[in-house]
Amino acid sequence: MNVRFGVLLTPGIEAPEAVVELARTAEALGYDLVMVPDRPYEPGLLDAWTLLSWVAARTERIRLAPGVLELPLRDPAALARAAAGLDLLSAGRLELALGAGSAWDAIEAMGARRLGADQAVAALGEAIDIVRGVLDAGEPRPLRHLGEHYRIPQVQRGPLPAHRIPVWVGGHEPELLRLAGREAGGWVATLAELPPDGFAAAGKLVDEAAREAGREPAEVRRIVVVGPDADPSALRTLAAEERVDTFVISTDDAAVLRRFAADLRDLPAAVPVVVRPASVRAKRRAGIDYDSVPPSLADTAVEPGDLEYARVRSTYLRGGAPGLVLRPRTVAEVVDALAFVRAHPHLPFGVRSGGHGISGRSTNDGGIVLSVAALNSVEVLDRDRRLVRVGPGARWTDVAAALLPYGWALSSGDYGGVGVGGLATAGGVGWLAREHGLTIDHLRAVEMVLADGSVVRASERENAELFWGVRGAGGNFGVVTSFEFQVDEVGDVGFAQLVVGADDPAELLVRWGAAIEASPRDVSGQLIMGRPRPGRPHVAQLMAVVDAREPETIIERLRPLASVGPLYDQNVVLIPYAGVMANAADGYHQGQGEPVSRSGLIEHLTPEVARAAADLLAGGAVHWFQIRTVGGAVSDVPPDATAYAHRSANFSLVVMGSVERRLDAAWAGMAGHVEGLYLNFETGTGPDKVAAAFPPATLARLRELKRRYDPGTLFRDNFTVDPQEETR
Amino acid sequence: MSDYGHDLLFGAFLTPTAERPHQAVDLAVVADRAGLDLATFQDHPYQPRFHDTWTLLSYAAARTERIHLSGNVLNLPLRPPAVLARSHASLDLLSGGRIELGLGAGGFWDAIEAMGVRRLSPGESVAALEEGIEVIREIWAADKAGPVRVDGQHYRVHGAKRGPAPAHDIRIWVGAYKPRMLRLAGRAADGILPSLAYLPGGADDLAALNEHVDAGAVAAGRDPRAVRRLLNVSGRFAPTGTSFLDGPAEQWAEDLAGLALEHGVSAFILATDDAATIERYAAEVAPATRELVAAERSARS
Ligand SMILES: Cc1cc2nc3c(=O)[nH]c(=O)nc-3n(C[C@H](O)[C@H](O)[C@H](O)COP(=O)(O)OP(=O)(O)OC[C@H]3O[C@@H](n4cnc5c(N)ncnc54)[C@H](O)[C@@H]3O)c2cc1C
Repeated sequence: MNVRFGVLLTPGIEAPEAVVELARTAEALGYDLVMVPDRPYEPGLLDAWTLLSWVAARTERIRLAPGVLELPLRDPAALARAAAGLDLLSAGRLELALGAGSAWDAIEAMGARRLGADQAVAALGEAIDIVRGVLDAGEPRPLRHLGEHYRIPQVQRGPLPAHRIPVWVGGHEPELLRLAGREAGGWVATLAELPPDGFAAAGKLVDEAAREAGREPAEVRRIVVVGPDADPSALRTLAAEERVDTFVISTDDAAVLRRFAADLRDLPAAVPVVVRPASVRAKRRAGIDYDSVPPSLADTAVEPGDLEYARVRSTYLRGGAPGLVLRPRTVAEVVDALAFVRAHPHLPFGVRSGGHGISGRSTNDGGIVLSVAALNSVEVLDRDRRLVRVGPGARWTDVAAALLPYGWALSSGDYGGVGVGGLATAGGVGWLAREHGLTIDHLRAVEMVLADGSVVRASERENAELFWGVRGAGGNFGVVTSFEFQVDEVGDVGFAQLVVGADDPAELLVRWGAAIEASPRDVSGQLIMGRPRPGRPHVAQLMAVVDAREPETIIERLRPLASVGPLYDQNVVLIPYAGVMANAADGYHQGQGEPVSRSGLIEHLTPEVARAAADLLAGGAVHWFQIRTVGGAVSDVPPDATAYAHRSANFSLVVMGSVERRLDAAWAGMAGHVEGLYLNFETGTGPDKVAAAFPPATLARLRELKRRYDPGTLFRDNFTVDPQEETR
Repeated sequence: MSDYGHDLLFGAFLTPTAERPHQAVDLAVVADRAGLDLATFQDHPYQPRFHDTWTLLSYAAARTERIHLSGNVLNLPLRPPAVLARSHASLDLLSGGRIELGLGAGGFWDAIEAMGVRRLSPGESVAALEEGIEVIREIWAADKAGPVRVDGQHYRVHGAKRGPAPAHDIRIWVGAYKPRMLRLAGRAADGILPSLAYLPGGADDLAALNEHVDAGAVAAGRDPRAVRRLLNVSGRFAPTGTSFLDGPAEQWAEDLAGLALEHGVSAFILATDDAATIERYAAEVAPATRELVAAERSARS
């Protein structure tokens, strides 16, 4: 690692644009950091935070830090929120340097209370706790701080910043140096304010305090502000002997910046900066060799003590506590990640794209998660053939939005937040299923990383058997890193949401099933029903997409659906397919607990099936009941063409409950009425479910593939095909 | 019937959501390009789902070119006035004079108190706001002799240096509803900035609001026209008109022109987070409203 360089600007009020221009020049010259002094009592200078925010908007790469913030004039909780916001806006470029207060006369004149030196350091210590506490948004309880200097009854935490914002302390007083050693991620010193040999002595104090607090001295970065006339050889010595890893040149002269950049480029740092302090390492889980995370992944990996952990630990439906989340950004990094996973054969291991897996196996407890969320591009490969390439980390709402300008769409599912990776490796029952088939039916090729780390392409022509298996059981054979789809021309569609009475749920199911089976293929839809509750009218929600532009056609198609029961409410709009999919929630996943669901595929909603389904619903073990249409184009594909084989079904049923045992007891009544299941709606992942998802001939082929591509069952957590077991 | 004769301003009232960090910035850019006069952001520092308004506003100012920006309205109890004055002046200098100061006495006291700030009674918070405005104006008065000296109950600034002077005469707009606050606005502010949705009697309440502001201004020897009447509104474009700001653009223009001519409202800040609505507001509603008001004003004079 090399020493970092920064610039400390003097932001005079006379030429604000020149200050901003200098920051941009520093960025162009390859500087790592721009700092602006904070002297809120000094009318000749621009306000530091305002200027930093402005510079953030006008730069792209360079990191930003106040140098240093006069804490007595800032409220620490408000400061933390502002810091999180600036970090989010600047995509993780903020570093926070705090000072205990220096110009006390001026501070007092501004209306703040004067503190003695030691008191001021104590107040700074409290402020650091508050700042860190507010930033720690993953902690569910509000922050309470009843200290000597700050009294905060309870403040909500958050927002979660884009990265772990380092908190540095600036100054030279012994008490402050000790605070830096005990608490801070960095110590900011100003060379000109120290006596000739003062730096070494001050640094020793910091190190001693760090050791006393059980930290490694290298956890405290050393940031040194130097004047424009600093001697490069003296800086080399400081870097080599005093572990200084960041030099900040105080200048407003672009020529000086250029000179330093030329003189000191590629100066190696004496010791690698410790990225994860002891407090973070203390939360590591057993059995993971954290120190051998491949260098390519070290920066983006997240472990339990990291601030970003809150963002990645859970999935949409399931709470998790993985020991390590690897976040590759390239195919080569996926290869690196799998090598690391191979070295940990006894841990849970989940592959994650969009994190919406119903079974929730893309998170775990104490294991490794490989998240390909960053591989999220959507690009058009061939306009004439409507061929597009999509990364597994893209969400279906993003795919729909990207295809909209071309007048294209790819049927996926009903929810825009769902990821491409999990859905397009298993099936994809979407709003255009009856007309255009499953998502996997549009797949023309994939690129994937296999268990042994090799990168292969699979299509009808290359690795054809693997390509067959990927379309239905993809998670068993590797990590798909890109999908090539042939998409359809789809314009605006009619999107209907109807509410109908369901006093007799079985009767309604039969009528709805018959109506939608008789509909032309441009209609696909679903039905959602709650549990009947005494004294309340029982209703069902019907949704449908009609792929037609003319209002008359849409109305004509909807009429039979609207008359399956008394119509209580209706809402029909003509919108682009991308509009139907623009329903994804913001923010990160905060699922909790264990989801429990059962999936079943159904040929026809006969009175017997409907009776069994109505009984299931009435029993009370089910809190979510949803039937989607398949059939149509889905059934045109021969059962042996893809690993997804239950092609004759017209309906896909999913129910969710809270208690697995109760749900299974209720679900037993569906036996004989369902024929197979769809993996992506099922939470049971054991051999019985695998056998239900894949008919015997399909399963035998999958076992053969597993023996060939993943004999050691590296991919073992989600509907694992056992390579050894013989087919019945 | 009162019309203070101000030129009309049209603005957007944007949610500073932090979950999509750039949403509000992107919408401010849309408003800027569409030709609106103002992009404003609410300020609830105790609400972690929102950006820190000042940081967001500074960032958005750097991404826009023409539009003016302000808090709607900034929470004074959680933002010390001397710092507020300097940061506004700084941003005004950086942006070439595009910053205004929307200021409020703080509404949600439970949340403010939980952040460690002493709860003020309604009367106290009016007094604190008045002192805050004084501190701010004194800091901005860079050319006045001697250091700033404000000896208030709530804010004491003794000997702070003056300046910097902002690039332009930053307007102070106060979020005001109740008589005392309205009279204070008449005495000391450059505008009032209430939300129509918070007026229990709807637009009819504006007459009473104006009376209090006017009385405050006159008592302080000011011309009531020195105080602009801004208003946050919300609405929906629809093919056929049904109610106030629910209908086609032409009907919106009629509705807003009515408020301008009847109650002297001269800035309409639309609460929306939808780019298409912002564009339509700027392209269709603003010019039509201006035309209607200009025609009526010239007919009257
Ligand atoms: C609200 C909601 C609505 C849904 N609606 C529909 C619907 O209408 N139609 C439908 O068909 N499904 C639907 N689903 C189910 C959905 O298809 C699955 O949950 C799918 O697995 C989610 O994909 P993901 O990438 O978001 O999930 P993740 O949780 O990221 O992944 C799920 C599993 O897929 C595998 N996997 C993920 N990425 C890869 C990869 N790159 N390579 C290989 N294997 C991988 C892993 O085994 C992983 O455990 C819905 C789910 C939810 C939560």
